[in-house]
Amino acid sequence: MNANNISELAEAWVSGTLSPEEMAELKNRMNTDAEFAIEFNETILLIRSLNGSGNQKRFRAMLKDINSNQVAKAPEKRIIQLPAHFWRTSAVAASVALLTSFLTYTLFVARTKNTDSQYSTISREVDHLKRVQMKQQETQNAIIDSINKKKSPAPPPSDVRYTGTGFALTNDGYFATAAHVINNGDFDSVYIQCSDDVYYKAFLVNYNSKADIAILKVEKKNFRFGKSDVPYELQSDKVGLGARIFTMGYPNDDLVYSEGYISARNGYEGNKQQYTLELPAGHGQSGSPVLDEKGNMLGILTAISNPDEANTYAVGAQALTDLIQHMPPGSRMRLPKSSHLSGLSREKQIQKMEDFTFSVKVYKK
Amino acid sequence: MYSPTNTEQQQLKALAKGDRETTEQIYQQHYPIINGWLIKNGGSADDAADLFQEAMVVMFGKAQNADFRLTCSIGTYLFAVSKHLWYKKLQQSHKEPSRLYDNVGDDNEIPGLAVEEDINVHHEREAHYEQLDSSLDKLGEPCRSLLKAFYHHDKSMQEISADFGYTNPDNAKTQKYKCLARLKKLFFATQAK
Repeated sequence: MNANNISELAEAWVSGTLSPEEMAELKNRMNTDAEFAIEFNETILLIRSLNGSGNQKRFRAMLKDINSNQVAKAPEKRIIQLPAHFWRTSAVAASVALLTSFLTYTLFVARTKNTDSQYSTISREVDHLKRVQMKQQETQNAIIDSINKKKSPAPPPSDVRYTGTGFALTNDGYFATAAHVINNGDFDSVYIQCSDDVYYKAFLVNYNSKADIAILKVEKKNFRFGKSDVPYELQSDKVGLGARIFTMGYPNDDLVYSEGYISARNGYEGNKQQYTLELPAGHGQSGSPVLDEKGNMLGILTAISNPDEANTYAVGAQALTDLIQHMPPGSRMRLPKSSHLSGLSREKQIQKMEDFTFSVKVYKK
Repeated sequence: MYSPTNTEQQQLKALAKGDRETTEQIYQQHYPIINGWLIKNGGSADDAADLFQEAMVVMFGKAQNADFRLTCSIGTYLFAVSKHLWYKKLQQSHKEPSRLYDNVGDDNEIPGLAVEEDINVHHEREAHYEQLDSSLDKLGEPCRSLLKAFYHHDKSMQEISADFGYTNPDNAKTQKYKCLARLKKLFFATQAK
Protein backbone atom coordinates (compact mmCIF):
# COMPACT_ATOMS: atom_id res chain seq x y z
CA MET A 1 0.00 0.00 0.00
CA ASN A 2 1.52 3.31 -1.00
CA ALA A 3 1.33 6.66 0.72
CA ASN A 4 -1.59 7.86 -1.39
CA ASN A 5 -3.70 4.94 -0.36
CA ILE A 6 -2.94 5.53 3.29
CA SER A 7 -4.01 9.15 2.95
CA GLU A 8 -7.21 8.13 1.21
CA LEU A 9 -7.96 5.48 3.81
CA ALA A 10 -7.26 7.88 6.68
CA GLU A 11 -9.51 10.51 5.14
CA ALA A 12 -12.35 8.02 4.81
CA TRP A 13 -11.76 6.92 8.39
CA VAL A 14 -11.89 10.47 9.76
CA SER A 15 -15.07 11.29 7.87
CA GLY A 16 -16.59 7.95 8.94
CA THR A 17 -17.34 6.63 5.47
CA LEU A 18 -15.62 3.26 5.82
CA SER A 19 -17.85 0.19 5.54
CA PRO A 20 -17.81 -2.37 8.38
CA GLU A 21 -15.81 -4.78 6.19
CA GLU A 22 -13.22 -2.12 5.42
CA MET A 23 -13.04 -1.29 9.13
CA ALA A 24 -12.39 -4.93 9.99
CA GLU A 25 -9.72 -5.19 7.34
CA LEU A 26 -8.09 -2.01 8.57
CA LYS A 27 -8.09 -3.21 12.15
CA ASN A 28 -6.54 -6.46 11.12
CA ARG A 29 -3.79 -4.71 9.19
CA MET A 30 -3.10 -2.35 12.10
CA ASN A 31 -2.59 -5.35 14.35
CA THR A 32 -0.24 -7.16 12.05
CA ASP A 33 1.72 -4.34 10.41
CA ALA A 34 3.26 -2.02 13.00
CA GLU A 35 4.84 0.28 10.45
CA PHE A 36 1.53 0.75 8.70
CA ALA A 37 -0.17 1.42 12.02
CA ILE A 38 2.22 4.27 12.79
CA GLU A 39 1.85 5.78 9.33
CA PHE A 40 -1.89 5.51 9.52
CA ASN A 41 -2.17 7.06 12.97
CA GLU A 42 0.07 9.93 11.98
CA THR A 43 -2.02 10.61 8.91
CA ILE A 44 -5.19 10.63 10.97
CA LEU A 45 -3.65 13.08 13.41
CA LEU A 46 -2.56 15.25 10.52
CA ILE A 47 -5.97 15.30 8.85
CA ARG A 48 -7.71 16.02 12.13
CA SER A 49 -5.32 18.87 12.85
CA LEU A 50 -5.84 20.28 9.37
CA ASN A 51 -9.61 20.09 9.78
CA GLY A 52 -9.46 21.63 13.24
CA SER A 53 -7.08 24.37 12.21
CA GLY A 54 -9.19 25.17 9.15
CA ASN A 55 -12.42 25.31 11.16
CA GLN A 56 -10.79 27.58 13.68
CA LYS A 57 -9.39 29.90 11.01
CA ARG A 58 -12.81 30.27 9.44
CA PHE A 59 -14.32 30.85 12.88
CA ARG A 60 -11.77 33.56 13.67
CA ALA A 61 -12.43 35.23 10.34
CA MET A 62 -16.13 35.19 11.05
CA LEU A 63 -15.60 36.73 14.49
CA LYS A 64 -13.54 39.53 12.95
CA ASP A 65 -16.24 40.11 10.41
CA ILE A 66 -18.99 40.18 13.04
CA ASN A 67 -16.94 42.58 15.10
CA SER A 68 -16.28 44.97 12.24
CA ASN A 69 -19.98 44.92 11.34
CA GLN A 70 -20.75 45.90 14.89
CA VAL A 71 -18.24 48.70 14.83
CA ALA A 72 -19.72 49.88 11.55
CA LYS A 73 -23.13 50.04 13.18
CA ALA A 74 -21.78 51.84 16.21
CA PRO A 75 -22.40 55.48 15.15
CA GLU A 76 -26.17 54.86 15.18
CA LYS A 77 -26.24 53.62 18.74
CA ARG A 78 -23.35 55.20 20.50
CA ILE A 79 -22.48 53.52 23.71
CA ILE A 80 -21.46 55.72 26.57
CA GLN A 81 -19.70 53.83 29.29
CA LEU A 82 -21.34 54.51 32.59
CA PRO A 83 -19.37 54.20 35.79
CA ALA A 84 -20.21 51.01 37.62
CA HIS A 85 -22.57 52.47 40.15
CA PHE A 86 -24.85 54.18 37.70
CA TRP A 87 -25.26 51.05 35.73
CA ARG A 88 -28.14 49.96 37.88
CA THR A 89 -29.92 53.24 37.41
CA SER A 90 -29.75 52.82 33.68
CA ALA A 91 -31.17 49.35 34.11
CA VAL A 92 -34.21 50.98 35.69
CA ALA A 93 -34.68 53.17 32.66
CA ALA A 94 -34.41 50.14 30.44
CA SER A 95 -36.94 48.23 32.47
CA VAL A 96 -39.43 51.07 32.22
CA ALA A 97 -39.05 50.99 28.48
CA LEU A 98 -39.65 47.26 28.44
CA LEU A 99 -42.66 47.44 30.70
CA THR A 100 -45.30 47.15 28.01
CA SER A 101 -43.92 43.96 26.62
CA PHE A 102 -43.50 42.46 30.07
CA LEU A 103 -47.13 43.15 30.89
CA THR A 104 -48.34 41.32 27.83
CA TYR A 105 -46.15 38.43 28.72
CA THR A 106 -47.35 38.20 32.29
CA LEU A 107 -51.00 38.32 31.30
CA PHE A 108 -50.45 35.65 28.75
CA VAL A 109 -48.81 33.37 31.25
CA ALA A 110 -51.54 33.98 33.77
CA ARG A 111 -54.26 33.07 31.29
CA THR A 112 -52.73 29.81 30.15
CA LYS A 113 -52.33 28.82 33.74
CA ASN A 114 -56.03 29.31 34.49
CA THR A 115 -57.33 27.31 31.59
CA ASP A 116 -54.78 24.57 31.47
CA SER A 117 -54.31 23.49 34.98
CA GLN A 118 -55.69 23.19 38.42
CA TYR A 119 -52.14 23.15 39.61
CA SER A 120 -50.08 26.18 40.19
CA THR A 121 -46.48 26.43 41.19
CA ILE A 122 -45.93 28.85 44.00
CA SER A 123 -42.95 30.91 43.13
CA ARG A 124 -43.82 34.57 43.05
CA GLU A 125 -43.59 36.39 39.78
CA VAL A 126 -42.76 39.83 40.91
CA ASP A 127 -45.24 42.55 40.14
CA HIS A 128 -43.43 44.58 37.56
CA LEU A 129 -45.34 47.82 37.86
CA LYS A 130 -44.95 48.16 41.57
CA ARG A 131 -41.37 47.19 41.35
CA VAL A 132 -40.42 49.83 38.87
CA GLN A 133 -41.88 52.51 41.10
CA MET A 134 -40.02 51.23 44.09
CA LYS A 135 -36.84 50.49 42.27
CA GLN A 136 -35.65 54.07 42.09
CA GLN A 137 -35.74 54.24 45.84
CA GLU A 138 -34.17 50.82 46.25
CA THR A 139 -31.39 51.59 43.85
CA GLN A 140 -30.50 54.72 45.71
CA ASN A 141 -30.59 52.90 49.01
CA ALA A 142 -28.49 50.13 47.56
CA ILE A 143 -25.86 52.57 46.39
CA ILE A 144 -25.79 54.27 49.76
CA ASP A 145 -25.69 50.87 51.45
CA SER A 146 -22.85 49.61 49.34
CA ILE A 147 -20.92 52.75 50.11
CA ASN A 148 -21.63 52.46 53.81
CA LYS A 149 -20.71 48.83 54.25
CA LYS A 150 -18.16 47.82 51.70
CA LYS A 151 -18.42 44.22 52.78
CA SER A 152 -21.83 43.75 51.28
CA PRO A 153 -21.65 42.48 47.72
CA ALA A 154 -23.41 44.68 45.21
CA PRO A 155 -27.09 43.91 44.80
CA PRO A 156 -28.01 42.06 41.64
CA PRO A 157 -27.84 43.79 38.30
CA SER A 158 -31.26 43.43 36.73
CA ASP A 159 -34.93 42.87 37.44
CA VAL A 160 -36.08 40.28 39.89
CA ARG A 161 -38.11 37.84 37.86
CA TYR A 162 -39.03 35.15 40.35
CA THR A 163 -38.70 34.80 44.05
CA GLY A 164 -38.91 31.68 46.08
CA THR A 165 -37.43 30.13 49.16
CA GLY A 166 -34.32 28.03 49.55
CA PHE A 167 -32.75 26.09 52.36
CA ALA A 168 -29.20 24.98 53.08
CA LEU A 169 -28.05 21.44 52.41
CA THR A 170 -24.53 21.95 53.72
CA ASN A 171 -23.17 24.81 55.74
CA ASP A 172 -20.57 25.67 53.07
CA GLY A 173 -23.02 26.92 50.48
CA TYR A 174 -25.02 24.15 48.85
CA PHE A 175 -28.75 24.74 48.99
CA ALA A 176 -31.94 23.45 47.47
CA THR A 177 -35.02 25.10 46.05
CA ALA A 178 -37.76 24.25 43.52
CA ALA A 179 -36.61 24.02 39.90
CA HIS A 180 -39.38 26.34 38.70
CA VAL A 181 -38.15 29.06 41.06
CA ILE A 182 -34.97 29.25 38.99
CA ASN A 183 -37.03 28.98 35.81
CA ASN A 184 -35.55 25.52 35.13
CA GLY A 185 -32.11 26.93 34.62
CA ASP A 186 -33.11 29.70 32.22
CA PHE A 187 -31.98 32.77 34.14
CA ASP A 188 -29.27 35.38 34.13
CA SER A 189 -28.36 35.19 37.77
CA VAL A 190 -29.58 33.91 41.10
CA TYR A 191 -29.00 35.53 44.47
CA ILE A 192 -30.01 34.52 47.91
CA GLN A 193 -30.97 37.14 50.41
CA CYS A 194 -29.94 35.99 53.86
CA SER A 195 -31.54 37.07 57.10
CA ASP A 196 -28.90 39.79 57.53
CA ASP A 197 -30.15 41.27 54.22
CA VAL A 198 -26.91 40.56 52.40
CA TYR A 199 -27.17 39.21 48.88
CA TYR A 200 -25.00 36.32 47.80
CA LYS A 201 -24.68 35.18 44.22
CA ALA A 202 -25.24 31.51 43.52
CA PHE A 203 -24.77 29.18 40.60
CA LEU A 204 -26.74 26.16 39.46
CA VAL A 205 -25.20 22.80 40.30
CA ASN A 206 -27.90 20.41 39.20
CA TYR A 207 -31.63 20.28 38.72
CA ASN A 208 -34.47 18.01 37.78
CA SER A 209 -37.37 19.90 36.27
CA LYS A 210 -39.66 16.87 36.30
CA ALA A 211 -39.35 16.46 40.04
CA ASP A 212 -39.15 20.26 40.40
CA ILE A 213 -36.01 20.43 42.52
CA ALA A 214 -32.72 22.21 42.05
CA ILE A 215 -29.41 22.35 43.88
CA LEU A 216 -27.35 25.53 43.80
CA LYS A 217 -24.25 26.79 45.54
CA VAL A 218 -23.23 30.17 46.83
CA GLU A 219 -20.27 31.39 44.79
CA LYS A 220 -18.42 33.17 47.57
CA LYS A 221 -15.31 31.48 48.89
CA ASN A 222 -15.41 30.21 52.45
CA PHE A 223 -19.09 30.99 52.65
CA ARG A 224 -21.03 29.77 55.69
CA PHE A 225 -24.77 29.95 56.22
CA GLY A 226 -24.51 29.84 59.98
CA LYS A 227 -22.12 29.34 62.84
CA SER A 228 -23.14 25.74 63.45
CA ASP A 229 -23.83 22.92 61.03
CA VAL A 230 -27.12 22.52 59.17
CA PRO A 231 -29.49 21.46 61.97
CA TYR A 232 -31.78 19.09 60.04
CA GLU A 233 -31.23 15.93 58.06
CA LEU A 234 -32.91 14.54 54.95
CA GLN A 235 -35.56 11.92 55.59
CA SER A 236 -35.86 10.00 52.30
CA ASP A 237 -38.30 7.33 53.47
CA LYS A 238 -41.86 8.54 53.24
CA VAL A 239 -43.54 9.20 56.58
CA GLY A 240 -47.09 8.24 57.38
CA LEU A 241 -50.37 10.05 56.94
CA GLY A 242 -51.18 12.57 59.59
CA ALA A 243 -47.57 13.35 60.52
CA ARG A 244 -47.38 16.88 61.91
CA ILE A 245 -45.22 19.13 59.76
CA PHE A 246 -44.13 22.72 59.56
CA THR A 247 -42.43 24.97 57.05
CA MET A 248 -40.77 28.35 56.85
CA GLY A 249 -40.53 30.50 53.77
CA TYR A 250 -40.46 33.94 52.23
CA PRO A 251 -43.77 34.80 50.50
CA ASN A 252 -42.55 38.39 50.93
CA ASP A 253 -39.55 39.91 52.60
CA ASP A 254 -40.48 38.46 55.97
CA LEU A 255 -39.99 34.92 57.09
CA VAL A 256 -43.37 33.21 57.51
CA TYR A 257 -44.05 30.09 59.55
CA SER A 258 -46.91 27.69 58.91
CA GLU A 259 -47.82 24.24 60.13
CA GLY A 260 -50.09 21.38 59.16
CA TYR A 261 -50.06 17.66 58.47
CA ILE A 262 -49.52 15.17 55.68
CA SER A 263 -52.94 14.55 54.17
CA ALA A 264 -52.11 12.06 51.40
CA ARG A 265 -49.20 9.74 50.68
CA ASN A 266 -48.95 10.81 47.07
CA GLY A 267 -49.11 14.17 45.41
CA TYR A 268 -50.85 15.83 42.51
CA GLU A 269 -52.66 13.26 40.36
CA GLY A 270 -51.10 10.45 42.32
CA ASN A 271 -47.50 11.62 41.82
CA LYS A 272 -45.51 9.16 43.94
CA GLN A 273 -42.58 11.50 44.39
CA GLN A 274 -44.79 14.01 46.17
CA TYR A 275 -46.82 14.39 49.34
CA THR A 276 -50.13 16.15 49.60
CA LEU A 277 -50.19 18.47 52.58
CA GLU A 278 -52.75 20.30 54.59
CA LEU A 279 -50.61 23.34 55.04
CA PRO A 280 -51.30 26.94 54.09
CA ALA A 281 -48.80 28.18 51.52
CA GLY A 282 -48.67 31.05 49.10
CA HIS A 283 -46.68 32.30 46.19
CA GLY A 284 -43.04 32.81 47.04
CA GLN A 285 -42.92 29.80 49.32
CA SER A 286 -41.88 27.39 46.58
CA GLY A 287 -38.70 25.69 47.62
CA SER A 288 -39.39 25.92 51.35
CA PRO A 289 -38.35 22.95 53.43
CA VAL A 290 -41.05 20.78 55.01
CA LEU A 291 -39.96 19.37 58.35
CA ASP A 292 -41.48 17.01 60.85
CA GLU A 293 -41.55 17.69 64.57
CA LYS A 294 -38.18 16.08 65.18
CA GLY A 295 -36.51 18.26 62.58
CA ASN A 296 -36.24 15.78 59.74
CA MET A 297 -36.41 17.36 56.29
CA LEU A 298 -39.28 15.55 54.53
CA GLY A 299 -39.69 17.52 51.34
CA ILE A 300 -39.79 20.77 49.41
CA LEU A 301 -42.90 22.84 48.76
CA THR A 302 -43.66 22.91 45.08
CA ALA A 303 -47.26 23.77 44.27
CA ILE A 304 -50.81 24.44 45.40
CA SER A 305 -54.02 23.37 43.73
CA ASN A 306 -55.99 26.04 41.93
CA PRO A 307 -58.19 27.92 42.28
CA ASP A 308 -59.15 27.42 45.91
CA GLU A 309 -55.59 26.70 47.12
CA ALA A 310 -57.01 23.86 49.15
CA ASN A 311 -54.09 21.49 48.77
CA THR A 312 -50.38 22.04 48.98
CA TYR A 313 -47.88 19.69 47.39
CA ALA A 314 -44.32 18.92 48.38
CA VAL A 315 -41.65 16.90 46.60
CA GLY A 316 -40.38 14.16 48.88
CA ALA A 317 -36.76 14.24 50.04
CA GLN A 318 -36.03 11.04 48.09
CA ALA A 319 -35.96 13.02 44.82
CA LEU A 320 -33.42 15.34 46.39
CA THR A 321 -31.25 12.45 47.55
CA ASP A 322 -31.37 11.04 44.00
CA LEU A 323 -30.28 14.35 42.56
CA ILE A 324 -27.42 14.62 45.05
CA GLN A 325 -26.19 11.22 43.91
CA HIS A 326 -25.97 12.53 40.35
CA MET A 327 -23.90 15.60 40.99
CA PRO A 328 -21.45 16.81 38.37
CA PRO A 329 -17.88 15.76 39.10
CA GLY A 330 -16.02 18.10 41.39
CA SER A 331 -18.88 18.90 43.73
CA ARG A 332 -18.26 17.73 47.23
CA MET A 333 -21.23 17.66 49.50
CA ARG A 334 -21.13 16.53 53.07
CA LEU A 335 -24.71 16.21 54.20
CA PRO A 336 -25.51 16.51 57.88
CA LYS A 337 -25.97 13.09 59.43
CA SER A 338 -28.06 14.07 62.40
CA SER A 339 -30.74 16.49 63.36
CA HIS A 340 -30.17 19.02 66.12
CA LEU A 341 -33.80 20.05 66.31
CA SER A 342 -35.20 17.05 68.11
CA GLY A 343 -36.79 17.76 71.50
CA LEU A 344 -36.60 21.53 71.16
CA SER A 345 -39.58 23.83 71.43
CA ARG A 346 -40.92 25.09 68.12
CA GLU A 347 -39.61 28.61 68.76
CA LYS A 348 -36.14 27.25 69.35
CA GLN A 349 -36.37 25.07 66.23
CA ILE A 350 -37.34 28.07 64.13
CA GLN A 351 -34.61 30.16 65.66
CA LYS A 352 -32.05 27.50 64.77
CA MET A 353 -33.33 27.23 61.23
CA GLU A 354 -33.48 30.90 60.43
CA ASP A 355 -29.90 31.10 59.20
CA PHE A 356 -30.49 28.17 56.88
CA THR A 357 -33.69 29.37 55.24
CA PHE A 358 -33.61 32.33 52.92
CA SER A 359 -35.22 34.09 50.02
CA VAL A 360 -34.07 33.13 46.51
CA LYS A 361 -34.18 35.87 43.88
CA VAL A 362 -33.92 35.03 40.23
CA TYR A 363 -32.98 37.60 37.64
CA LYS A 364 -33.63 37.45 33.96
CA LYS A 365 -33.64 40.27 31.48
CA MET B 1 -26.13 14.93 35.17
CA TYR B 2 -25.93 18.68 35.06
CA SER B 3 -28.37 19.80 32.44
CA PRO B 4 -27.90 23.29 31.11
CA THR B 5 -30.83 24.98 29.40
CA ASN B 6 -31.70 23.51 26.08
CA THR B 7 -31.26 26.77 24.30
CA GLU B 8 -27.68 27.17 25.50
CA GLN B 9 -26.79 23.60 24.64
CA GLN B 10 -28.27 24.10 21.18
CA GLN B 11 -26.39 27.36 20.82
CA LEU B 12 -23.15 25.58 21.63
CA LYS B 13 -23.84 22.86 19.10
CA ALA B 14 -24.49 25.43 16.42
CA LEU B 15 -21.42 27.38 17.51
CA ALA B 16 -19.25 24.27 17.20
CA LYS B 17 -20.35 24.01 13.59
CA GLY B 18 -19.46 27.65 13.01
CA ASP B 19 -23.05 28.82 12.56
CA ARG B 20 -22.95 32.53 11.89
CA GLU B 21 -26.34 33.51 13.26
CA THR B 22 -25.67 31.83 16.60
CA THR B 23 -22.21 33.33 16.83
CA GLU B 24 -23.67 36.77 16.22
CA GLN B 25 -26.28 36.19 18.92
CA ILE B 26 -23.66 35.19 21.47
CA TYR B 27 -21.51 38.10 20.40
CA GLN B 28 -24.24 40.65 20.83
CA GLN B 29 -25.46 39.19 24.09
CA HIS B 30 -22.17 38.87 25.90
CA TYR B 31 -19.67 41.22 24.31
CA PRO B 32 -20.99 44.43 25.94
CA ILE B 33 -20.51 43.00 29.44
CA ILE B 34 -16.90 42.05 28.84
CA ASN B 35 -16.24 45.29 27.03
CA GLY B 36 -17.62 47.24 30.00
CA TRP B 37 -15.62 45.22 32.48
CA LEU B 38 -12.38 45.60 30.58
CA ILE B 39 -12.74 49.34 30.26
CA LYS B 40 -13.13 49.55 34.03
CA ASN B 41 -9.99 47.47 34.34
CA GLY B 42 -7.74 49.57 32.21
CA GLY B 43 -8.23 48.08 28.75
CA SER B 44 -9.25 49.67 25.48
CA ALA B 45 -12.09 48.82 23.12
CA ASP B 46 -9.59 47.10 20.81
CA ASP B 47 -8.31 45.01 23.71
CA ALA B 48 -11.88 44.04 24.48
CA ALA B 49 -12.53 42.88 20.93
CA ASP B 50 -9.33 40.80 20.91
CA LEU B 51 -10.02 39.36 24.32
CA PHE B 52 -13.61 38.47 23.59
CA GLN B 53 -12.74 36.85 20.29
CA GLU B 54 -10.03 34.81 21.97
CA ALA B 55 -12.50 33.66 24.63
CA MET B 56 -14.95 32.72 21.89
CA VAL B 57 -12.22 30.66 20.20
CA VAL B 58 -11.51 28.88 23.51
CA MET B 59 -15.19 28.01 23.82
CA PHE B 60 -15.34 27.04 20.15
CA GLY B 61 -12.41 24.69 20.68
CA LYS B 62 -14.08 23.12 23.70
CA ALA B 63 -17.39 22.76 21.93
CA GLN B 64 -15.76 20.67 19.18
CA ASN B 65 -15.83 17.79 21.60
CA ALA B 66 -19.23 16.12 21.20
CA ASP B 67 -19.35 15.22 24.89
CA PHE B 68 -18.82 18.81 25.89
CA ARG B 69 -21.25 20.13 28.49
CA LEU B 70 -20.99 23.53 30.03
CA THR B 71 -21.15 23.52 33.80
CA CYS B 72 -22.30 27.12 33.83
CA SER B 73 -23.99 29.53 31.48
CA ILE B 74 -22.28 30.70 28.29
CA GLY B 75 -22.05 34.20 29.71
CA THR B 76 -20.35 33.07 32.91
CA TYR B 77 -17.93 30.93 30.96
CA LEU B 78 -16.94 33.64 28.49
CA PHE B 79 -16.53 36.14 31.28
CA ALA B 80 -14.33 33.81 33.33
CA VAL B 81 -12.12 32.97 30.35
CA SER B 82 -11.83 36.63 29.36
CA LYS B 83 -10.82 37.61 32.87
CA HIS B 84 -8.15 34.93 33.02
CA LEU B 85 -6.79 35.86 29.61
CA TRP B 86 -6.66 39.51 30.59
CA TYR B 87 -4.87 38.92 33.88
CA LYS B 88 -2.42 36.67 32.11
CA LYS B 89 -1.76 39.36 29.58
CA LEU B 90 -1.23 41.95 32.29
CA GLN B 91 1.16 39.65 34.12
CA GLN B 92 3.14 39.08 30.95
CA SER B 93 3.54 42.79 30.36
CA HIS B 94 4.41 43.24 34.08
CA LYS B 95 1.58 45.64 34.54
CA GLU B 96 -0.56 44.68 37.46
CA PRO B 97 -4.13 45.94 37.24
CA SER B 98 -4.45 49.11 39.24
CA ARG B 99 -7.60 47.92 40.89
CA LEU B 100 -9.39 44.60 40.83
CA TYR B 101 -13.13 45.04 40.80
CA ASP B 102 -13.82 41.34 40.79
CA ASN B 103 -11.98 38.59 42.51
CA VAL B 104 -10.76 36.45 39.68
CA GLY B 105 -10.01 33.55 41.99
CA ASP B 106 -13.67 33.02 42.73
CA ASP B 107 -14.30 31.50 39.32
CA ASN B 108 -12.19 28.52 40.19
CA GLU B 109 -14.66 27.71 42.90
CA ILE B 110 -17.29 26.73 40.35
CA PRO B 111 -17.08 22.97 40.08
CA GLY B 112 -16.09 21.81 36.63
CA LEU B 113 -15.28 25.32 35.53
CA ALA B 114 -11.58 24.74 35.14
CA VAL B 115 -11.02 27.81 33.05
CA GLU B 116 -7.30 27.77 33.68
CA GLU B 117 -7.02 24.28 32.25
CA ASP B 118 -9.17 25.14 29.24
CA ILE B 119 -6.87 28.05 28.49
CA ASN B 120 -3.79 25.87 28.73
CA VAL B 121 -5.31 23.36 26.36
CA HIS B 122 -6.17 26.23 24.07
CA HIS B 123 -2.59 27.50 24.06
CA GLU B 124 -1.24 24.03 23.35
CA ARG B 125 -3.64 23.68 20.48
CA GLU B 126 -2.60 27.07 19.14
CA ALA B 127 1.06 26.05 19.23
CA HIS B 128 0.21 22.82 17.43
CA TYR B 129 -1.69 24.68 14.70
CA GLU B 130 1.14 27.16 14.31
CA GLN B 131 3.58 24.34 13.74
CA LEU B 132 1.21 22.86 11.21
CA ASP B 133 0.95 26.20 9.41
CA SER B 134 4.70 26.62 9.24
CA SER B 135 5.04 23.08 7.83
CA LEU B 136 2.38 23.99 5.27
CA ASP B 137 4.33 27.08 4.29
CA LYS B 138 7.43 25.01 3.72
CA LEU B 139 5.58 22.84 1.23
CA GLY B 140 6.18 23.72 -2.41
CA GLU B 141 3.47 24.66 -4.85
CA PRO B 142 0.94 23.51 -5.81
CA CYS B 143 0.67 21.53 -2.57
CA ARG B 144 0.59 24.54 -0.26
CA SER B 145 -2.21 26.31 -2.11
CA LEU B 146 -4.12 23.13 -2.76
CA LEU B 147 -4.19 22.03 0.88
CA LYS B 148 -4.99 25.55 2.04
CA ALA B 149 -7.87 25.77 -0.44
CA PHE B 150 -9.27 22.48 0.80
CA TYR B 151 -8.72 22.74 4.53
CA HIS B 152 -8.62 26.46 5.27
CA HIS B 153 -11.04 27.80 2.69
CA ASP B 154 -13.35 24.80 2.71
CA LYS B 155 -13.40 24.49 -1.09
CA SER B 156 -14.78 21.35 -2.71
CA MET B 157 -12.56 19.12 -4.85
CA GLN B 158 -14.73 20.20 -7.79
CA GLU B 159 -13.83 23.87 -7.30
CA ILE B 160 -10.20 23.07 -6.65
CA SER B 161 -9.94 21.00 -9.77
CA ALA B 162 -11.31 23.93 -11.79
CA ASP B 163 -9.18 26.57 -10.01
CA PHE B 164 -5.95 24.61 -10.32
CA GLY B 165 -6.58 23.37 -13.87
CA TYR B 166 -6.89 19.64 -13.27
CA THR B 167 -8.77 17.69 -15.87
CA ASN B 168 -11.12 16.19 -13.29
CA PRO B 169 -11.69 16.12 -9.52
CA ASP B 170 -10.16 12.65 -9.23
CA ASN B 171 -6.82 13.92 -10.47
CA ALA B 172 -7.01 16.75 -7.98
CA LYS B 173 -7.75 14.20 -5.26
CA THR B 174 -4.73 12.09 -6.15
CA GLN B 175 -2.63 15.26 -5.98
CA LYS B 176 -4.13 16.11 -2.61
CA TYR B 177 -3.19 12.69 -1.18
CA LYS B 178 0.36 13.13 -2.44
CA CYS B 179 0.50 16.52 -0.79
CA LEU B 180 -0.82 15.10 2.47
CA ALA B 181 1.92 12.49 2.51
CA ARG B 182 4.55 15.19 1.96
CA LEU B 183 3.10 17.43 4.61
CA LYS B 184 3.04 14.53 7.04
CA LYS B 185 6.76 13.95 6.55
CA LEU B 186 7.58 17.60 7.05
CA PHE B 187 5.32 18.04 10.02
CA PHE B 188 6.45 14.99 11.96
CA ALA B 189 10.09 15.72 11.12
CA THR B 190 9.82 19.13 12.81
CA GLN B 191 7.92 17.59 15.71
CA ALA B 192 10.65 15.03 16.30
CA LYS B 193 13.29 17.72 16.66
